[in-house]
Amino acid sequence: MESIPAISVSGLSKSFGSLKALSEVSFSVARGEIFAYLGPNGAGKTTTIRIMAGLLDRDAGEVSICGRDVAEDPIFVKERIGVVPEESNLYPELTCRRNLEYLGELYGLARGVRTRKAAELLRFFDLVDRATTPFGALSKGLKRRLTIAAALIHNPEVVFMDEPTSGLDVPSARALRELIRVINRQGVTVFLTTHNLQEAEALSQRVLILIQGRVAALGTPSEIRQRVQRLYLLSVTFSPEIEAARLLGACPAILQASSQNGAWRLEVAEVHAALEQVVAFARGEGVRISEINTLTASLEDAFMSFVKRGGPKAEALP
Amino acid sequence: MSQWRRALAISFKDIESYYGKPPLITWGLLFPAVLILSLYVKDPATYLAIAPGVIAMTLLFGNTSMAAIVVTFEKRAGTFQRLLLAPLSMRTIILGKAASASIYGVATALALALGLKFALGMPLVNPLIFWAGLILGAGCFSLLGLTAAVMVREVFEAMTLMNFFRFPILFISGVFMPLSQLPSWLKPLAYVSPLTYVVELLRLGVTGRSEFATPIVPLLAILLFLLASWLLAAALFRRRASA
Repeated sequence: MESIPAISVSGLSKSFGSLKALSEVSFSVARGEIFAYLGPNGAGKTTTIRIMAGLLDRDAGEVSICGRDVAEDPIFVKERIGVVPEESNLYPELTCRRNLEYLGELYGLARGVRTRKAAELLRFFDLVDRATTPFGALSKGLKRRLTIAAALIHNPEVVFMDEPTSGLDVPSARALRELIRVINRQGVTVFLTTHNLQEAEALSQRVLILIQGRVAALGTPSEIRQRVQRLYLLSVTFSPEIEAARLLGACPAILQASSQNGAWRLEVAEVHAALEQVVAFARGEGVRISEINTLTASLEDAFMSFVKRGGPKAEALP
Repeated sequence: MSQWRRALAISFKDIESYYGKPPLITWGLLFPAVLILSLYVKDPATYLAIAPGVIAMTLLFGNTSMAAIVVTFEKRAGTFQRLLLAPLSMRTIILGKAASASIYGVATALALALGLKFALGMPLVNPLIFWAGLILGAGCFSLLGLTAAVMVREVFEAMTLMNFFRFPILFISGVFMPLSQLPSWLKPLAYVSPLTYVVELLRLGVTGRSEFATPIVPLLAILLFLLASWLLAAALFRRRASA
C-alpha cells in the first residue's frame, strides 16, 4: 500500500475548445510528500486540480489517487482527498461548527465522530472562540483556516491546496504555512499550488513548474535551482548612482539589470568577464563600487528563467 | 452512512439555510391566498372551481423557483462545489436538493389548503388523492427547477428560462378553465403539460370531481412526468453541474 503513490498522473491532456490547457502532463507524488505545483497564471494548475478532484473530465491520460482512477472510481477518490479551493467557499450562513459537521455528514461520518472531529479541528485551527460565528462573518484569514479545517474533516490521505495563503497578511500566511507543515507531519500528502515561490521552496520536498500546460521542470527545489546555475547573479552598488543604459552599453556580459534601493541586480552569462567590465565601467565613469556580491539563484530565479523561455525546453529530472 | 442519509443531510441543511426562513414562507403563501380570497369575495360560489388550480400553481411557481434559486445561488457562491467534491453520487445531490424544495412546496401548498379549509370551508373529499397530487407535483416541479438551474449561471436566467414554459402551461392546464372548455386545438397541448395532471389530482382530492374518469390516469401521467424530469435532471447534472 505504501508503495502506491498518493498521486499518479500520466500523459494528462485537456483542451477547452482550441485552447490546449494541459498537454501530456506526467508526474507522481509520494505518500507523505509536500509537492508544489507552480506556474504563471493560466498555466493549467487549477485545471489539473479540478481533474484530480473529479470536477472536470480529462481528454487523455491517466489520473490515479491512492491507486484508483478518479474517473472510474470517483467516490473512492473523493473519500480520500480534501480540497482547499482558491476561494474560501464554505456556507456563509452556517456557523463554523455547523459547517464542519455538515461536511462531516456529507462524507458519511457518524454523528459522534463528526462532532468530535469538528471540535478537534476548531481547537487545532484556534477557532474555538468562533465556533458559533457564521462563516460569512469571519475575516479572510479565519475563513482560510476554516476552509483548510473543512478539507480535513474526513481525515483525507491527500489534500489539494490551491493558493492557500493568497491574499493573507504576513502573520496569517506564516501561521498557515506552519499549519500545513503540521498537517503534513501527521502523514497527509499535500499538493500545493502557489504564486509565492519562497513559500513553495520552504514547504515542499519537490516542485513541478508548469508553463503553458506543459511540464517545464520537475525536481527538488535545489535540483531546479541547479538547472539554471549557468545563470549567474551579481549584486553591485555604485556610488554615486549610475544610469542603466550606460551600464548595459558598457558591459555586454550583463544580460539583464534591475535596480532596487541603489543596489543593482545583474544577470550575467560569465562572472569573470562581467566583473572586469563592471570595474572598467566604474573606473571610466569615475564612480566608486561600494559593494559587490555574487548571489545564488533562488527558486524564483529558476522559475523566471523557465517563464522567459516560454516553455518546457528542459526535461524533468529523475 | 448510505447515500440516502447524505441526501437527507443535504435536504435538512437546505431547509435550515433557505426554506425555513420566514420571508420565503410568506412569499410562498401570500400571493395564492390573496388570489383565492379576491375570487371568493367576488363570487363565493365559484372559488372552489379555481382553488385546486391555484394550489397547483403555487406548487409550480414555488418549487421551480426555489429549486432553481438555491442551486444557482450556491453555484455563484461556490458552495455547490462542496457537494461535487464530496463522495456523493449525482443522484444523491439531485435527490437532496429536490426533496428540500419539494418539502417547501408541499408545506406551503398544504398551509394554503388548510387555510382555505378552515377559513372558507373548502372541502377535502379525498385527502389521499390530494396528498398524492401535492407530493408528485412538488417532486416533478422541483426537478424541473433544478434542471433549469444547472443550464444557466444567473438566477434571472433561470427565471427567464422557466417562464417560457411556466406561463404558457398555466393557461392550458385547467388552472383557470376546465379542460372540457378548452378549444379542441389546445387540448392535445394540455395533455402534455404536467400541471394538468396535478390540477386534476388536487381537484379530485378537493371536490371528488375531475375531467378524468379515474384517478389512475392523472396518477400514472404525473408519475411518468416525474420519471422524465428525473432522467432529464440526472443527464444534465452529469454534463453540466461542475461547469
